[in-house]
Amino acid sequence: MPGSLAALEKGDLKGVSADYVASICEMCSTRCPISARVVDGKNVFIGGNKEAKAFGGKVCARGGAGHSMLYDPQRIVKPLRRVGERGEGKWQEISWDEAYEMMATNLNDIKQKHGAEAVAFSSKSGSLSGHLFHLAKAFGSPNTFTHATTCPGAYVIAAKAIFGTKLKRDLGNSKYIINFGHNLYEGINMSETRGMMKAQMDKGAKLVVFEPRFSIVADKADEWYAIRPGTDVAVALAMCHVLIEDNLYDKAFVAQYVEGFDEFAKEVKAYTPEWAETISDVPAADIRRITHEYAACAPHACVDFGHRATFTTEEFEMRRALYAANILIGNIERKGGIYLGKKAPAYNKFAGEAVAPVLAKPGVKNLPKITAKRIDQVDEQFSMVWSSGGVYQSILDATLEAVPYQLRGWVMSRTNPMQTMTDRNRVVEAMLKLDFIAVCDVYISETAAYADLILPESTYLERDEEIADKSGKNPGYYVRQRVVEVIGDTKPSWQIFKEAGEAMGLGQYFPWQNMETLQLMQVNKDHQLLKQIKDLGFVTYGQPLMLREPSMVSKFAATYSNAREMDEDGTYGSALSFKTPSGKIELSSTKVEKMAPGRGVIRYRPVELKQADELYFIQGKVAVHTNAGSQNVPMLSQLMSDNAVWIHPVTAGALGIQHGDAITLTSSVGTEKGQALVTPGIRQDTVFAYMGFGSKNKELARAVGKGVHCGNLLPHKTSPVTGMNVHTTGVKLAKA
Amino acid sequence: MNNTWGDVAQYDPVTWNWIIAIYLFMAGLSAGSLLIGLGLRWWSNTDDKSESAILKAAALIAPVAICIGLACLVFDLTKPFHFWLILINYNFESVMAIGVAVLLFYIPLTFAYALMVLRDELAQWKLGFLTPIATMLLPWRKPIELVMFVLALGVGAYTGFLLSAMNAYPMLNTAVLPALFLVSGLSAGAAANTLVALLMFNSNGHEPHMKTMHGMELPVVFAEMTFIFMLFCALYFKGGAAAMALASLTTGVWAVVFWVGVVAIGFGIPLLSMLMPAHSRHTKGAMVTVACASLAGVLALRHFIIYAGQSYIS
Amino acid sequence: MSQRYVIVHDENKCIGCQACSVACRSENNVPDGVSRLQVHIQGPFGEAPNLHFKYHRMSCQQCENAPCVTVCPTGAAYIGDDGIVSIKPEKCVGCMYCVAACPYKVRFMNPETKVADKCNFCKDTRLARGEQPACVDVCPTDALVFGDTNDNNSQVAKMLLQRANYQDSTHLGTKPRVYRIPTKKGGIVS
Repeated sequence: MPGSLAALEKGDLKGVSADYVASICEMCSTRCPISARVVDGKNVFIGGNKEAKAFGGKVCARGGAGHSMLYDPQRIVKPLRRVGERGEGKWQEISWDEAYEMMATNLNDIKQKHGAEAVAFSSKSGSLSGHLFHLAKAFGSPNTFTHATTCPGAYVIAAKAIFGTKLKRDLGNSKYIINFGHNLYEGINMSETRGMMKAQMDKGAKLVVFEPRFSIVADKADEWYAIRPGTDVAVALAMCHVLIEDNLYDKAFVAQYVEGFDEFAKEVKAYTPEWAETISDVPAADIRRITHEYAACAPHACVDFGHRATFTTEEFEMRRALYAANILIGNIERKGGIYLGKKAPAYNKFAGEAVAPVLAKPGVKNLPKITAKRIDQVDEQFSMVWSSGGVYQSILDATLEAVPYQLRGWVMSRTNPMQTMTDRNRVVEAMLKLDFIAVCDVYISETAAYADLILPESTYLERDEEIADKSGKNPGYYVRQRVVEVIGDTKPSWQIFKEAGEAMGLGQYFPWQNMETLQLMQVNKDHQLLKQIKDLGFVTYGQPLMLREPSMVSKFAATYSNAREMDEDGTYGSALSFKTPSGKIELSSTKVEKMAPGRGVIRYRPVELKQADELYFIQGKVAVHTNAGSQNVPMLSQLMSDNAVWIHPVTAGALGIQHGDAITLTSSVGTEKGQALVTPGIRQDTVFAYMGFGSKNKELARAVGKGVHCGNLLPHKTSPVTGMNVHTTGVKLAKA
Repeated sequence: MNNTWGDVAQYDPVTWNWIIAIYLFMAGLSAGSLLIGLGLRWWSNTDDKSESAILKAAALIAPVAICIGLACLVFDLTKPFHFWLILINYNFESVMAIGVAVLLFYIPLTFAYALMVLRDELAQWKLGFLTPIATMLLPWRKPIELVMFVLALGVGAYTGFLLSAMNAYPMLNTAVLPALFLVSGLSAGAAANTLVALLMFNSNGHEPHMKTMHGMELPVVFAEMTFIFMLFCALYFKGGAAAMALASLTTGVWAVVFWVGVVAIGFGIPLLSMLMPAHSRHTKGAMVTVACASLAGVLALRHFIIYAGQSYIS
Repeated sequence: MSQRYVIVHDENKCIGCQACSVACRSENNVPDGVSRLQVHIQGPFGEAPNLHFKYHRMSCQQCENAPCVTVCPTGAAYIGDDGIVSIKPEKCVGCMYCVAACPYKVRFMNPETKVADKCNFCKDTRLARGEQPACVDVCPTDALVFGDTNDNNSQVAKMLLQRANYQDSTHLGTKPRVYRIPTKKGGIVS
């Protein structure tokens, strides 16, 4: 394979230091603080950074295995130019100069003929997206996208609608946690996973899980209900109904902080547990009892608002209903509830002194003014998505149907829509139609296989990057530092996009020389601060603060002599305001009503996810893989390379399917071959598969053809307001 | 739950394979043929002047079989060229180490004994240069025979102890196994002696030694069957995981090996042959057939014990 | 024996995420295809909705009465002063007697060194540097606790007194030193 590490001579890994180096993981989007050390020039031991208390100094299997990418023979270490047809798999090694030249010629050509907006830029979120989107801005295109609408976008949008901002969970202090399939024990988010386990095992918190399959989190739960897929909203609304009708809600909190309660109360009157039972298969008596138990633990209780996956088109209502169940018990800014992140400026203001340094933004002046509208900006209902990564799949509509205008180029960084977006064929079609596609990645991903140009990125273990904010209940920063010297002819993405920008004649927008100068800009040339952050890798300032938690506030006020004065009730409750039009929590919202008529008030709408003769097809995350990104990583591929499909024994029996049999799943858009995993841990009307398998490009040699490709079974459907890609559909199961 | 933990091949309880089964067979065969050869010699009190065909066969088989067996063993090591380590490092808690020590004395003695017994054949085999050594050794024949007899008992039983020392395997971890291996080694030894005596040393079925040895066959086979029966009884009465191992008699390829190989061929053919009229029973063809059946039966037994034994873990 | 090192695996806290297995492989250069440590998620057992998984740590049990040490002909397998079942690679000929004799099936032949291999609580690497074994160091949910039970004040010593626990295949008299805290379905364990 040209350009791969296999083509190079294998040498020892050159560690930057003989000791541990603090850095940041990039094996999933959680980005845990890590600490790594080269072992005998062969391996890298990656552990958690012990400075990061909330993360416990721990790391998961994905994080621990990241180093096996370093010396993976299948890794790309030279820029590659496509020489055959798109997707044919014929590549030629080229120099970086040639690569930049190719990028500049093609992109500038499109810009000249069709305007800069005809090029879309997309990236996995994180520091990578920052640099790519800066290039987009300098280039003049408004069309920048993260993977949000194919993954975690919905809970953010729903929070924006209600609170005006994103919120965090304090699961570690919860006494009662209600979980709608947020599989924290497989989709590990280190601080939350640890928090929930600590709450459960050390503090005796109760965990109730509603999920169609018996996942690890369902196993660890005190109660598990195999809810009908896509009906979480009904149960959540019924819980709100019980909280209000049985007078269990926090009236003082609602009076002080909540806007639109009456409209909401009127709406949920009809949503009785009995009604919810008919929809969700969760017994009404249990919904009632659980809600009463939950309210009894208020405010130190939490309904987890979830993370990935859009179960239905009613995602927006579902996430808002989950937030509503929190709001009603007044757990905002209370231990065990949900809270707002405390970044340095806000925290310092409360303390009345500079407890934490405030990082500067390396502002670049005179960026070109962009007049073109984003391609997803036509439909006003998505207006809250534009600043949160955009409606990713609208790239397909713009490319294939010129809606709202024709896209001609696509620059991607570490994103794999061929797996994560629904309807793979449509992604292929769109990619075949574009004039120019450049992809920056470590591997030739399924998507990169259809590119014209591949820019080989250094892995996170070979990169230095800017200081990132990791504030929780108090301010914190951390930084990615390279652990080993760069292997092959790869470059960090910030450098790739800077140099590409220079080749495109946009050099004046990249005033920093290298990462060190960029970091120094961030810390206002405070060398000592930079050294401290680098040495420790993770620094926090002050002490945890939740504005309505008396114990925390009194401790805070006692620590800082100039601290804001406490309210009469011993909290900072009066300081709690929200970035909504009313400044309050908008349980019902006129803003939303304007954006999306009929959706101002949270309401149940029936959805049809499958035909009567079909089974629900649902997916999830496994602890040893990151959705679409890790199936070819050697150590992870060895742990799990296939995603046998979960089928209930009754369903399997009716079709004569035995454990281990070859099966096919057929949906309205595709057919996939897989293997049967017959288990009682799934509903009879549902089949389940872990995401990200069944790659269809030969370049991912370890992953190709192994398992069911989920994206190839899901029809293209976008959820209102949140812009989310819907990930549940109906399939027909057959013995192959 | 999907397998998210990777390759599980290393947990396959069957660690030792057919190569070890052949080693066990060869070691048992070597010891068995020697024990029978020596036993017959003492029993019939023949003089030293002319060696019987059976003894010649035994003297030849003993070193050859043990060497083939050891070659199997050495090349089954992951570090075959470091096998000498096992000769200089001893852990006498280990049955294998004791076995090595026994073999260290046993093997040279089998060679020495072969020279003595086959001294007249040496020239014929173009090994005449060894005759002086044979002559030199002859005065020591009696003590060598005695020591060798004891060592052969040890070798025959040791292969059983090697397996029975592993207490995780209920079918192997029984007191009967060493006895069974010793007896089946005798059975194999008798059969091999017959074959070699008939085919190499031109003996016939009417030679007195041959007759005596033939007479021993029935009790040996009965002892073997008794020990196997006891082995399974022990498993049955032990219950639990041990009783589960009885499934090896009814399921899988090793059940077939047992019933066809061990029982039908190994016991059935020799026993049925006894029903034949004496004159046809003692023809060369019949004797060769019966001997081959016995050998095949013992080889099948070793395979059955190795594979089925390791398949059931407690 | 100066120390009596043990590992306690809390099956309530374990989520079967394999972080331990990966960390072990990285720290100890364990080759592909073999493992010193895996956690098998078995099941689900029971009848819906009362199902449960079992999280079973597969690794050397550090038996006090170790069959692998007894059967090893050359003394390559031995129990150190720290109570850890260890291997002298220079004495191993690769007869696989130890692999066969191990009731837990956690010994294997290392395809690179051709020597018997298994978990040794990271004795040569991390313990030597004063660190915790790799698996314990990374375990996301703190399901693993490592320590010396000869020290009455150690966390493991206290845990083993206070928490219901079991060891595997004790009927074989091996006296394993991997202790397991069984899942008590219902989440909260006293």
